[in-house]
Amino acid sequence: MRLEHKIALVTGGSRGIGRAVVQRLAAEGAEVAFVYQSNREAADALVAELAAEGRTVRAVQADVRDAEQAQQIVDDIVARHESLDILVNSAGIVRDGLLGAMTAEQWREVIETNLFGAYHYCRAVAQQMMYQRRGSIVNLSSTAAEFASRGQVNYAASKGGIDGLTRGMAKEFAPRGVRVNAVAPGMIDTDMSKVVRGLVGARLNDIIPLRRIGTPAEVAAVVAFLAGDDAAYITGQVFRVDGGLSLGGY
Amino acid sequence: MPTQEEVFEKVRGALVEALGVDEEEVTPQATLVGDLGAESIDFLDILFRLQKAFNIKIPDKELLPQDILTNPEYVVDGRVTDAGIAELRKRMPFANLDSFAANPNVQDLANLLTVADMCRFVESKLATAG
Repeated sequence: MRLEHKIALVTGGSRGIGRAVVQRLAAEGAEVAFVYQSNREAADALVAELAAEGRTVRAVQADVRDAEQAQQIVDDIVARHESLDILVNSAGIVRDGLLGAMTAEQWREVIETNLFGAYHYCRAVAQQMMYQRRGSIVNLSSTAAEFASRGQVNYAASKGGIDGLTRGMAKEFAPRGVRVNAVAPGMIDTDMSKVVRGLVGARLNDIIPLRRIGTPAEVAAVVAFLAGDDAAYITGQVFRVDGGLSLGGY
Repeated sequence: MPTQEEVFEKVRGALVEALGVDEEEVTPQATLVGDLGAESIDFLDILFRLQKAFNIKIPDKELLPQDILTNPEYVVDGRVTDAGIAELRKRMPFANLDSFAANPNVQDLANLLTVADMCRFVESKLATAG
Protein backbone atom coordinates (compact mmCIF):
# COMPACT_ATOMS: atom_id res chain seq x y z
CA MET A 1 0.00 0.00 0.00
CA ARG A 2 1.24 3.42 -1.02
CA LEU A 3 0.96 5.15 2.37
CA GLU A 4 1.80 2.27 4.67
CA HIS A 5 3.59 3.35 7.88
CA LYS A 6 2.77 7.00 7.17
CA ILE A 7 1.28 9.08 9.96
CA ALA A 8 -1.29 11.60 8.75
CA LEU A 9 -3.28 14.48 10.18
CA VAL A 10 -6.35 15.82 8.38
CA THR A 11 -8.33 18.89 9.44
CA GLY A 12 -12.02 19.13 8.66
CA GLY A 13 -12.08 15.36 8.46
CA SER A 14 -15.61 14.44 9.43
CA ARG A 15 -17.45 15.78 6.39
CA GLY A 16 -17.22 16.50 2.69
CA ILE A 17 -13.85 16.37 0.99
CA GLY A 18 -11.98 16.01 4.30
CA ARG A 19 -13.94 12.88 5.09
CA ALA A 20 -13.11 11.39 1.70
CA VAL A 21 -9.45 12.27 2.30
CA VAL A 22 -9.47 10.43 5.64
CA GLN A 23 -11.05 7.41 3.95
CA ARG A 24 -8.57 7.43 1.10
CA LEU A 25 -5.44 7.92 3.21
CA ALA A 26 -6.57 5.15 5.56
CA ALA A 27 -7.36 2.86 2.62
CA GLU A 28 -3.83 3.42 1.34
CA GLY A 29 -2.41 2.30 4.67
CA ALA A 30 -1.79 5.55 6.54
CA GLU A 31 -2.52 5.87 10.23
CA VAL A 32 -4.82 8.88 10.35
CA ALA A 33 -5.88 11.37 13.01
CA PHE A 34 -8.48 13.87 11.92
CA VAL A 35 -9.79 17.07 13.42
CA TYR A 36 -13.49 17.88 13.45
CA GLN A 37 -15.14 20.95 14.87
CA SER A 38 -18.62 20.05 16.00
CA ASN A 39 -20.18 17.04 14.32
CA ARG A 40 -19.22 14.35 16.80
CA GLU A 41 -21.75 11.91 15.38
CA ALA A 42 -20.26 12.12 11.90
CA ALA A 43 -16.74 11.83 13.33
CA ASP A 44 -17.60 8.77 15.41
CA ALA A 45 -19.37 7.17 12.45
CA LEU A 46 -16.28 7.63 10.28
CA VAL A 47 -13.98 6.15 12.93
CA ALA A 48 -16.34 3.18 13.31
CA GLU A 49 -16.67 2.68 9.55
CA LEU A 50 -12.90 2.58 9.08
CA ALA A 51 -12.32 0.48 12.20
CA ALA A 52 -14.66 -2.12 10.70
CA GLU A 53 -12.30 -2.23 7.73
CA GLY A 54 -9.34 -2.72 10.05
CA ARG A 55 -8.02 0.84 9.72
CA THR A 56 -6.65 2.83 12.65
CA VAL A 57 -8.23 6.26 12.63
CA ARG A 58 -8.61 8.72 15.50
CA ALA A 59 -10.93 11.71 15.77
CA VAL A 60 -9.98 14.85 17.72
CA GLN A 61 -12.40 17.69 18.42
CA ALA A 62 -10.84 21.12 17.88
CA ASP A 63 -11.45 24.54 16.41
CA VAL A 64 -8.83 25.08 13.70
CA ARG A 65 -8.72 28.77 14.57
CA ASP A 66 -7.02 27.86 17.84
CA ALA A 67 -3.22 27.83 17.36
CA GLU A 68 -2.49 26.31 20.76
CA GLN A 69 -4.83 23.41 20.13
CA ALA A 70 -3.15 22.83 16.78
CA GLN A 71 0.25 22.57 18.45
CA GLN A 72 -1.10 20.27 21.16
CA ILE A 73 -2.64 17.94 18.60
CA VAL A 74 0.57 17.79 16.60
CA ASP A 75 2.70 17.29 19.73
CA ASP A 76 0.40 14.48 20.82
CA ILE A 77 0.73 12.70 17.46
CA VAL A 78 4.52 13.03 17.56
CA ALA A 79 4.58 11.74 21.15
CA ARG A 80 2.56 8.69 20.07
CA HIS A 81 4.26 7.92 16.77
CA GLU A 82 7.56 9.82 16.88
CA SER A 83 6.80 11.21 13.45
CA LEU A 84 4.23 13.00 11.35
CA ASP A 85 4.45 12.48 7.61
CA ILE A 86 1.33 14.03 6.13
CA LEU A 87 -0.81 17.07 6.90
CA VAL A 88 -3.96 17.80 4.92
CA ASN A 89 -5.61 21.14 5.64
CA SER A 90 -9.17 20.56 4.60
CA ALA A 91 -11.17 22.49 7.20
CA GLY A 92 -13.13 25.20 5.44
CA ILE A 93 -16.39 27.09 5.56
CA VAL A 94 -18.44 29.46 3.42
CA ARG A 95 -20.35 32.49 4.62
CA ASP A 96 -21.53 33.84 1.28
CA GLY A 97 -22.88 37.31 0.67
CA LEU A 98 -22.43 40.19 -1.76
CA LEU A 99 -19.57 42.42 -0.71
CA GLY A 100 -21.81 45.43 -0.19
CA ALA A 101 -23.80 43.49 2.37
CA MET A 102 -21.03 41.32 3.81
CA THR A 103 -20.42 41.85 7.50
CA ALA A 104 -16.94 41.95 8.98
CA GLU A 105 -17.96 38.88 10.94
CA GLN A 106 -18.68 36.92 7.73
CA TRP A 107 -15.33 38.01 6.34
CA ARG A 108 -13.41 37.27 9.53
CA GLU A 109 -14.97 33.87 10.17
CA VAL A 110 -14.05 32.60 6.72
CA ILE A 111 -10.52 34.02 6.72
CA GLU A 112 -9.85 32.79 10.24
CA THR A 113 -11.11 29.28 9.58
CA ASN A 114 -9.87 28.70 6.04
CA LEU A 115 -6.62 30.65 6.02
CA PHE A 116 -5.52 31.06 9.65
CA GLY A 117 -6.57 27.46 10.28
CA ALA A 118 -4.22 26.19 7.57
CA TYR A 119 -1.48 28.52 8.82
CA HIS A 120 -1.80 27.28 12.41
CA TYR A 121 -1.46 23.64 11.36
CA CYS A 122 1.33 24.31 8.84
CA ARG A 123 3.23 26.13 11.56
CA ALA A 124 2.52 23.41 14.11
CA VAL A 125 4.01 20.66 11.91
CA ALA A 126 6.81 22.71 10.35
CA GLN A 127 9.57 22.10 12.88
CA GLN A 128 8.82 18.40 13.26
CA MET A 129 8.78 17.83 9.49
CA MET A 130 11.93 19.89 9.07
CA TYR A 131 13.53 17.86 11.88
CA GLN A 132 12.58 14.63 10.09
CA ARG A 133 13.69 16.04 6.73
CA ARG A 134 10.48 14.47 5.48
CA GLY A 135 6.88 15.54 5.19
CA SER A 136 4.10 16.38 2.79
CA ILE A 137 1.48 19.04 3.28
CA VAL A 138 -1.59 19.30 1.07
CA ASN A 139 -3.80 22.35 1.43
CA LEU A 140 -7.34 22.45 0.10
CA SER A 141 -7.69 25.49 -2.13
CA SER A 142 -10.51 26.11 -4.60
CA THR A 143 -10.95 27.19 -8.21
CA ALA A 144 -12.77 30.11 -6.54
CA ALA A 145 -9.32 31.54 -5.76
CA GLU A 146 -8.77 32.26 -9.47
CA PHE A 147 -12.22 32.35 -11.04
CA ALA A 148 -14.64 34.89 -9.67
CA SER A 149 -18.09 34.10 -8.34
CA ARG A 150 -20.53 36.63 -6.98
CA GLY A 151 -21.04 36.49 -3.24
CA GLN A 152 -17.82 34.71 -2.36
CA VAL A 153 -15.18 37.42 -1.96
CA ASN A 154 -14.31 36.17 1.51
CA TYR A 155 -14.02 32.55 0.40
CA ALA A 156 -12.05 33.50 -2.73
CA ALA A 157 -9.68 35.65 -0.66
CA SER A 158 -9.11 32.84 1.82
CA LYS A 159 -8.34 30.36 -0.93
CA GLY A 160 -6.11 32.83 -2.78
CA GLY A 161 -4.27 33.10 0.51
CA ILE A 162 -3.97 29.32 0.63
CA ASP A 163 -2.31 29.34 -2.80
CA GLY A 164 0.21 31.93 -1.62
CA LEU A 165 0.85 30.09 1.63
CA THR A 166 1.40 26.88 -0.33
CA ARG A 167 3.92 28.35 -2.75
CA GLY A 168 5.80 30.37 -0.15
CA MET A 169 6.05 27.57 2.36
CA ALA A 170 7.06 25.13 -0.38
CA LYS A 171 9.99 27.35 -1.25
CA GLU A 172 11.08 27.78 2.37
CA PHE A 173 10.88 24.11 3.24
CA ALA A 174 11.92 22.34 0.03
CA PRO A 175 15.61 22.28 1.00
CA ARG A 176 14.56 20.60 4.26
CA GLY A 177 12.74 17.73 2.54
CA VAL A 178 9.21 19.01 3.14
CA ARG A 179 6.81 19.36 0.19
CA VAL A 180 3.77 21.63 0.17
CA ASN A 181 1.08 21.49 -2.50
CA ALA A 182 -2.55 22.41 -2.88
CA VAL A 183 -5.57 20.93 -4.57
CA ALA A 184 -8.18 23.29 -5.99
CA PRO A 185 -11.52 21.54 -6.43
CA GLY A 186 -14.18 22.95 -8.73
CA MET A 187 -17.81 21.97 -8.26
CA ILE A 188 -17.86 18.97 -5.94
CA ASP A 189 -20.83 17.10 -4.51
CA THR A 190 -20.66 18.26 -0.87
CA ASP A 191 -22.98 20.07 1.55
CA MET A 192 -20.81 23.16 1.17
CA SER A 193 -21.47 23.54 -2.54
CA LYS A 194 -25.20 22.83 -2.29
CA VAL A 195 -26.25 26.48 -2.34
CA VAL A 196 -24.15 27.37 -5.37
CA ARG A 197 -25.26 24.23 -7.18
CA GLY A 198 -28.83 25.16 -6.41
CA LEU A 199 -28.36 28.66 -7.81
CA VAL A 200 -26.73 27.55 -11.05
CA GLY A 201 -29.14 24.64 -11.47
CA ALA A 202 -29.20 22.40 -14.53
CA ARG A 203 -26.85 24.72 -16.45
CA LEU A 204 -24.02 23.41 -14.33
CA ASN A 205 -23.46 20.30 -16.39
CA ASP A 206 -23.22 22.43 -19.55
CA ILE A 207 -20.59 24.66 -17.99
CA ILE A 208 -18.36 21.78 -16.86
CA PRO A 209 -16.59 20.17 -19.83
CA LEU A 210 -16.75 16.70 -18.23
CA ARG A 211 -20.55 17.25 -17.95
CA ARG A 212 -20.94 16.44 -14.28
CA ILE A 213 -19.93 17.64 -10.86
CA GLY A 214 -17.07 15.86 -9.11
CA THR A 215 -17.11 13.57 -6.12
CA PRO A 216 -15.16 14.08 -2.88
CA ALA A 217 -13.40 10.79 -3.60
CA GLU A 218 -12.05 12.18 -6.88
CA VAL A 219 -10.48 15.09 -4.99
CA ALA A 220 -9.18 12.77 -2.27
CA ALA A 221 -7.41 10.65 -4.90
CA VAL A 222 -5.30 13.64 -5.95
CA VAL A 223 -4.65 14.59 -2.32
CA ALA A 224 -3.43 11.06 -1.60
CA PHE A 225 -1.16 11.14 -4.63
CA LEU A 226 0.41 14.43 -3.52
CA ALA A 227 0.70 13.22 0.07
CA GLY A 228 2.69 10.15 -0.91
CA ASP A 229 6.11 9.45 -2.34
CA ASP A 230 4.81 9.12 -5.92
CA ALA A 231 4.78 12.93 -5.84
CA ALA A 232 8.31 13.13 -4.43
CA TYR A 233 9.42 15.67 -7.05
CA ILE A 234 6.38 17.94 -6.84
CA THR A 235 6.17 20.94 -4.55
CA GLY A 236 4.58 24.38 -4.53
CA GLN A 237 1.88 23.43 -7.05
CA VAL A 238 -1.84 24.01 -7.07
CA PHE A 239 -3.74 21.24 -8.87
CA ARG A 240 -7.22 21.94 -10.19
CA VAL A 241 -9.64 19.06 -9.88
CA ASP A 242 -12.61 20.58 -11.65
CA GLY A 243 -13.68 18.50 -14.64
CA GLY A 244 -12.21 21.16 -16.91
CA LEU A 245 -14.34 23.97 -15.46
CA SER A 246 -11.39 26.36 -15.38
CA LEU A 247 -10.57 25.85 -19.06
CA GLY A 248 -12.99 28.61 -20.04
CA GLY A 249 -13.66 29.35 -23.72
CA TYR A 250 -16.59 27.82 -25.57
CA MET B 1 23.25 19.55 34.60
CA PRO B 2 25.44 18.45 31.68
CA THR B 3 29.09 19.51 31.55
CA GLN B 4 30.31 22.14 29.09
CA GLU B 5 31.77 19.36 27.00
CA GLU B 6 28.47 17.47 26.89
CA VAL B 7 26.66 20.65 25.88
CA PHE B 8 29.18 21.23 23.09
CA GLU B 9 28.79 17.64 21.86
CA LYS B 10 25.01 17.97 21.60
CA VAL B 11 25.14 21.43 20.06
CA ARG B 12 27.63 20.12 17.51
CA GLY B 13 25.34 17.16 16.79
CA ALA B 14 22.39 19.50 16.21
CA LEU B 15 24.44 21.71 13.90
CA VAL B 16 25.80 18.78 11.92
CA GLU B 17 22.28 17.42 11.39
CA ALA B 18 20.60 20.74 10.70
CA LEU B 19 23.25 22.26 8.45
CA GLY B 20 24.80 19.16 6.89
CA VAL B 21 28.30 20.27 7.88
CA ASP B 22 31.18 18.04 8.99
CA GLU B 23 31.92 17.64 12.69
CA GLU B 24 35.38 19.15 12.26
CA GLU B 25 33.89 22.36 10.91
CA VAL B 26 31.93 22.91 14.12
CA THR B 27 34.53 24.62 16.28
CA PRO B 28 33.63 26.92 19.17
CA GLN B 29 34.82 29.94 17.16
CA ALA B 30 32.90 29.06 13.98
CA THR B 31 30.12 31.52 13.14
CA LEU B 32 26.79 29.91 12.39
CA VAL B 33 25.98 32.02 9.35
CA GLY B 34 29.39 32.86 7.90
CA ASP B 35 31.33 29.66 8.57
CA LEU B 36 28.61 27.04 8.79
CA GLY B 37 26.22 28.50 6.20
CA ALA B 38 23.11 28.74 8.37
CA GLU B 39 20.13 30.58 6.86
CA SER B 40 17.47 32.17 9.02
CA ILE B 41 15.12 29.17 8.64
CA ASP B 42 17.90 26.90 9.88
CA PHE B 43 17.76 28.59 13.27
CA LEU B 44 14.25 27.16 13.74
CA ASP B 45 15.58 23.73 12.89
CA ILE B 46 18.62 24.10 15.16
CA LEU B 47 16.52 25.28 18.11
CA PHE B 48 14.06 22.42 17.64
CA ARG B 49 16.92 19.91 17.64
CA LEU B 50 18.36 21.51 20.77
CA GLN B 51 14.98 21.33 22.49
CA LYS B 52 14.81 17.62 21.70
CA ALA B 53 18.43 16.97 22.65
CA PHE B 54 18.20 18.75 26.01
CA ASN B 55 14.51 18.27 26.67
CA ILE B 56 13.91 21.99 27.26
CA LYS B 57 11.60 24.60 25.73
CA ILE B 58 13.27 27.43 23.83
CA PRO B 59 11.07 30.15 22.32
CA ASP B 60 12.77 31.10 19.03
CA LYS B 61 12.79 34.81 19.85
CA GLU B 62 15.17 34.21 22.74
CA LEU B 63 18.18 33.41 20.60
CA LEU B 64 17.73 36.40 18.31
CA PRO B 65 15.36 38.97 19.81
CA GLN B 66 13.58 39.94 16.61
CA ASP B 67 11.24 42.23 18.56
CA ILE B 68 14.21 44.49 19.27
CA LEU B 69 15.54 44.28 15.73
CA THR B 70 12.20 45.39 14.29
CA ASN B 71 11.43 48.04 16.89
CA PRO B 72 11.81 51.60 15.52
CA GLU B 73 12.71 52.69 19.03
CA TYR B 74 15.86 50.59 18.83
CA VAL B 75 16.67 50.57 15.12
CA VAL B 76 17.15 53.74 13.06
CA ASP B 77 18.24 53.66 9.41
CA GLY B 78 19.13 49.99 9.63
CA ARG B 79 21.41 50.49 12.62
CA VAL B 80 20.78 49.49 16.22
CA THR B 81 20.80 52.50 18.57
CA ASP B 82 22.72 52.66 21.84
CA ALA B 83 19.52 51.91 23.71
CA GLY B 84 18.99 48.93 21.39
CA ILE B 85 22.51 47.66 22.05
CA ALA B 86 21.91 47.94 25.79
CA GLU B 87 18.68 45.99 25.41
CA LEU B 88 20.40 43.34 23.27
CA ARG B 89 23.16 42.91 25.85
CA LYS B 90 20.47 42.35 28.48
CA ARG B 91 18.63 39.79 26.35
CA MET B 92 21.70 38.08 24.87
CA PRO B 93 24.14 37.73 27.78
CA PHE B 94 25.50 34.60 26.11
CA ALA B 95 26.89 36.52 23.11
CA ASN B 96 29.85 38.88 22.85
CA LEU B 97 28.35 41.94 21.19
CA ASP B 98 31.41 44.21 21.34
CA SER B 99 32.31 43.98 17.66
CA PHE B 100 28.64 44.33 16.68
CA ALA B 101 28.32 47.43 18.87
CA ALA B 102 31.22 49.05 16.99
CA ASN B 103 29.29 48.80 13.69
CA PRO B 104 25.72 47.83 14.56
CA ASN B 105 24.14 47.06 11.19
CA VAL B 106 20.94 45.26 12.07
CA GLN B 107 21.53 42.69 9.30
CA ASP B 108 24.84 41.64 10.83
CA LEU B 109 23.64 40.50 14.22
CA ALA B 110 22.82 36.94 13.21
CA ASN B 111 26.18 36.70 11.42
CA LEU B 112 28.06 37.19 14.68
CA LEU B 113 26.68 34.23 16.57
CA THR B 114 29.28 31.54 17.11
CA VAL B 115 29.05 27.93 18.19
CA ALA B 116 30.41 28.99 21.59
CA ASP B 117 27.58 31.57 21.88
CA MET B 118 25.09 28.82 21.09
CA CYS B 119 26.60 26.62 23.82
CA ARG B 120 26.41 29.45 26.37
CA PHE B 121 22.82 30.09 25.29
CA VAL B 122 21.91 26.46 25.92
CA GLU B 123 23.72 26.48 29.27
CA SER B 124 21.74 29.55 30.35
CA LYS B 125 18.51 27.82 29.34
CA LEU B 126 19.47 24.69 31.21
CA ALA B 127 20.29 26.75 34.30
CA THR B 128 16.84 28.39 34.29
CA ALA B 129 15.09 25.11 33.44
CA GLY B 130 16.85 23.32 36.28
